[in-house]
Amino acid sequence: MSNRDLNSRPMLASHVRLKTDPVSGDPVLLFPEGLLVLNATAHEIVRRCDGESTVAEIIRPLAEEFDAGEEVVRNDVLENLEQLRAQNLLVFLE
Amino acid sequence: MKRRPYVLLAEVTYGCPLHCPYCSNPVSSPAGLELETSEWKRVFQEAARLGVLHLGLSGGEPLLRRDLPDLVAGARAAGLYTNLITSGIGLDPARARQLRTLGLDSVQISLQADEAELGDSIAGARAHQRKLDAAAAVTQAGLPLSLNLVLHRHNLERLPAIISLAESLGAQRLELANVQFYGWAWLNRESLLPSRDQAQAAFARAQSARERLAGRMEVVYVLPDYFEQRPKPCMQGWGERYLTVNPIGQVLPCPNATSIPGLEFENVRKQSLETIWHESASFNLFRGEAWMPWPCRECPERHRDFGGCRCQAALLTGDPSATDPVCSLSPRHQIVRNIIDAETAGLDGSSWQERQNPSAR
Repeated sequence: MSNRDLNSRPMLASHVRLKTDPVSGDPVLLFPEGLLVLNATAHEIVRRCDGESTVAEIIRPLAEEFDAGEEVVRNDVLENLEQLRAQNLLVFLE
Repeated sequence: MKRRPYVLLAEVTYGCPLHCPYCSNPVSSPAGLELETSEWKRVFQEAARLGVLHLGLSGGEPLLRRDLPDLVAGARAAGLYTNLITSGIGLDPARARQLRTLGLDSVQISLQADEAELGDSIAGARAHQRKLDAAAAVTQAGLPLSLNLVLHRHNLERLPAIISLAESLGAQRLELANVQFYGWAWLNRESLLPSRDQAQAAFARAQSARERLAGRMEVVYVLPDYFEQRPKPCMQGWGERYLTVNPIGQVLPCPNATSIPGLEFENVRKQSLETIWHESASFNLFRGEAWMPWPCRECPERHRDFGGCRCQAALLTGDPSATDPVCSLSPRHQIVRNIIDAETAGLDGSSWQERQNPSAR
């Protein structure tokens, strides 16, 4: 993911729904014929992918909230976003 | 993971405008009245409480149910992720928009081929162009589109054109499912079974398409299990992850389970889904490993494939608790070899038997 992408605005793809699994309490992404259970980090990231916030704007408050270095958070966020994009679960608005 | 149903397949009617020779509905549909709107809505609520996250609204052709909008709304109210599994016949732009507004999450349309002549001959109806129109209606309504295509001897060679068509229709997902031989497909196996060469060439083409389209369109390829050395992990284990409710309310561990002689199934009209899932004899019959015969019970792969498919074991060996004969370790693997040899000996365009549809109600 390049620096240019830091200004793109990630959003769940139209076929993906974020939901709390009523049985386990885990956040899950639902899509045709599949689901992905999100860990706490991925959930914090995904719930900010609203198509409005840029990647940079997702990183900054997370670094503050979790009192972690921006570099570490940035790597975490970029890695998670890339994985979700590779699975067609996220789209990036310019 | 703990045993729990994640997916409910709701077969809301056996009626269908098509006559595909590999139809997955039973060859003779069990007699009884279709569940009513209120009964389906109750089933959706019970399913959600049991842990189901995904609902497939299927049939037959679910659009033949006049109450389909009600059913979609009921599924949404239960919080289920709902996928309409349809031939596309009857899905016009207004209906697509209406269903989306009511909370439908995605649509899967079946195709038979890349072009009308072959497609219509397989479907036994003038369907191909109407399917293309339905696909356009789905994407215009802003609904995610999946396409499903059953592959067999008569369309395997068309795979490149089929993949191009799916791309041009804007599908997010293309499911290429090699025909599995149960029910109607079993009756028509002589006409449908591909040659080993055909199957291998198609696999290579699907693989390269999957790589080329990564990130744009998901390409799922369901292997033709007769040509495999190991059985498919059918339903991720009997009574572990999946529930099917058929049009008359019977609850099945697998959509094809009524084909197993001697099994009896509970009905949502008489018991809750929860009771049936946990306590019914049919769901407990092939759970765990105690039922497994040799060689499955000593096989390190039993945790991966669960001994294969019970319906296939019943169909090919007469014993639903036998090792799936697709497995090369099965003492009866030769049965599958013999079928391949017999049916592909003189590959020809032999005719098939069209599925005869029951009336809608």
